[in-house]
Amino acid sequence: MHTHSKVVLLAAALLAVNSTFALAADKKVAFVPQIIGIPYFDAMEAGGKEAAAKFGVDFIDQGPVDTNPVDQMQIVQNLIDQGVNAVAVSVLDASSIAPVVEAAKAKHVALFTSDSDAPKSGRAFYVAQATDEGLGDAIIDEMVKRVGEDAKIGIVSGEATASNLNAWIGFMQARAKAKYPKLKLLEPQFAGGTAQRAAQIATDLMTANPDLKGLIGVASTTCPGVGQAIETAGKIGKVIGTGYCSPNTARAYLKSGAFGYSVLWDPKELGYLTVWAGKQLIDAKEIPATTTPEGMSHPVTYDAKTGVLLLGEPAVFTAQNVDNYKF
Amino acid sequence: MRAFLQRFGQREALLALGCIVSGLVFSGLSPYFATPDNLLTIARNSTELLLIGLGMTLLLGIGGIDVSVGSVLGLAAIGIGRLLEAGAPPALAALAGPVAGLALGVVSAFVVVFGRIPAIVATLGLLGVYRAGIFLALGGSWLSGLPVGLTNLLAARIFGLPVSVLVIAFAYGAVFVAVRLTPFGAHLLAIGHSEARARLAGIGVRRVQVAAFVISGGLCGLAASFYVATYRNVEMTIGATLALEAVAAVVLGGTAVTGGRISLLGTAFGVILLRLLQNGLLLVGVPSLWQPVVTGLLLLLVLGAEAVSGRLLLERLRPSAVGATSRDGAR
Repeated sequence: MHTHSKVVLLAAALLAVNSTFALAADKKVAFVPQIIGIPYFDAMEAGGKEAAAKFGVDFIDQGPVDTNPVDQMQIVQNLIDQGVNAVAVSVLDASSIAPVVEAAKAKHVALFTSDSDAPKSGRAFYVAQATDEGLGDAIIDEMVKRVGEDAKIGIVSGEATASNLNAWIGFMQARAKAKYPKLKLLEPQFAGGTAQRAAQIATDLMTANPDLKGLIGVASTTCPGVGQAIETAGKIGKVIGTGYCSPNTARAYLKSGAFGYSVLWDPKELGYLTVWAGKQLIDAKEIPATTTPEGMSHPVTYDAKTGVLLLGEPAVFTAQNVDNYKF
Repeated sequence: MRAFLQRFGQREALLALGCIVSGLVFSGLSPYFATPDNLLTIARNSTELLLIGLGMTLLLGIGGIDVSVGSVLGLAAIGIGRLLEAGAPPALAALAGPVAGLALGVVSAFVVVFGRIPAIVATLGLLGVYRAGIFLALGGSWLSGLPVGLTNLLAARIFGLPVSVLVIAFAYGAVFVAVRLTPFGAHLLAIGHSEARARLAGIGVRRVQVAAFVISGGLCGLAASFYVATYRNVEMTIGATLALEAVAAVVLGGTAVTGGRISLLGTAFGVILLRLLQNGLLLVGVPSLWQPVVTGLLLLLVLGAEAVSGRLLLERLRPSAVGATSRDGAR
């Protein structure tokens, strides 16, 4: 009985503190990743922590242990109930997020999306890593820098049904057509989800096209396959491999020379921008169309109409800079 | 017509013919097909599936199946990769594959045989568990660019032949001897025909079933050693397609999906035909999207012809099946 009353007292005290001194206490920004414990979201968390220290807010990073949308929504709901001031979500299921958006509004918690969007959910805005067009353009531009315009390039994608991969391929083809008319992109080949099949397809493409100058692995699972195929075929230096893969995945192939570069974004910067954006929401500040948040090296753009806050150009990883990244 | 159907029963000859004909067609359409480098590529691409298919042949033979073989390969590959990363000698890493595979084979055997759960359901459950295990063991990041020690070890040649060729020949030879020259083969097929009757005949059904799962596990682990040597990376989705490919190759090779009839040579030809088609179709410019359609149609064609010829049915209904299998059931 004694301990019980102590708990009640403590709870009452906490409640009092919460309601009376809420303005004085640090503001809380939460981020809910799709899954915890993987290097990508660890990097986002590290960026978020950095921004939180810089802008004087508390940062909470909580997410599901597997990519389960129901668990994720429960975590968001819990954070809202705990009384965080702003919560960012890397959405797993865009169709199931609407109820928690309502709950957040009822409690005056600012809810926005980051890394993965739910455009029609009523979220405040979306912190986006890169546009599909930016990713498509970057990989072609970087390839032309290395092999020249008069070259034949193979494309190895993952599942033929993956809409993001197909969008990237579409923008690659559009970029080649508009800017490099001599560049010949072969029809994309689809390896499904395994690196083994990607390696087989990459090998076959090099066999069928002895004049091939470059190979692009579109899905992250195709990256090691493409890199390994170039090494095994003894084509390092003759065929430049690349893909949308994280530095950890590409590192060995960048160092062996099988990969010339890899294109993606920096999740640490994305985490940083996410917490900065949460702070703007809490302070009820308008985000200008172009601005460089304190502590960032380049400007970000905001489209008020679509509610997209864009991190900027994709990052290009090479043998020289790859060791600066840990995801 | 009847003569044709009887000849059709000689599946191995038909598949060999299929390999030759498609090889000739591809050589005619692409100057790059019939080159030593490309044929070597096809052989290398076949290595893992040849080993996994051998185990799957035994499992289908007893009327079982294992849909978790790709994940067993994956878990063994993680063990191999971690050892290589830690700087272990390549020979140790190469041995770790089959050892891990055997251990997982024992687990599968216990779940299926002693849990008395139908193999397809039990191994589907194990597939989920093993997949989660792969995810946890990798911790969200992949192993890539592993040290080349294992690659060099398994690319070495003994008597002028690559290690992989010798290992595969030894594995097929050993299983062939076990199936043809020991009671194991007759027992295996008897169980495939009818588990109840085999039990009545005094066959140690469980012992044979456990053996089939353990052998299959060991072969998956062995395949993992070659996988890591060839690709030097372990990704989250490793081996995701291998179980279905193995079943396709084995059934293509003439092993009855309902059990009771196996063909080791047929499995080998089935694997090579699948890999040859994958390679050749891409070389002649067929988009890779169409490749599963071609292999799927091939499978339907072969099984359809088999159903029409009534072979599936007759084989099952023959009363003296148990006695007959040791003579003509295993090739």
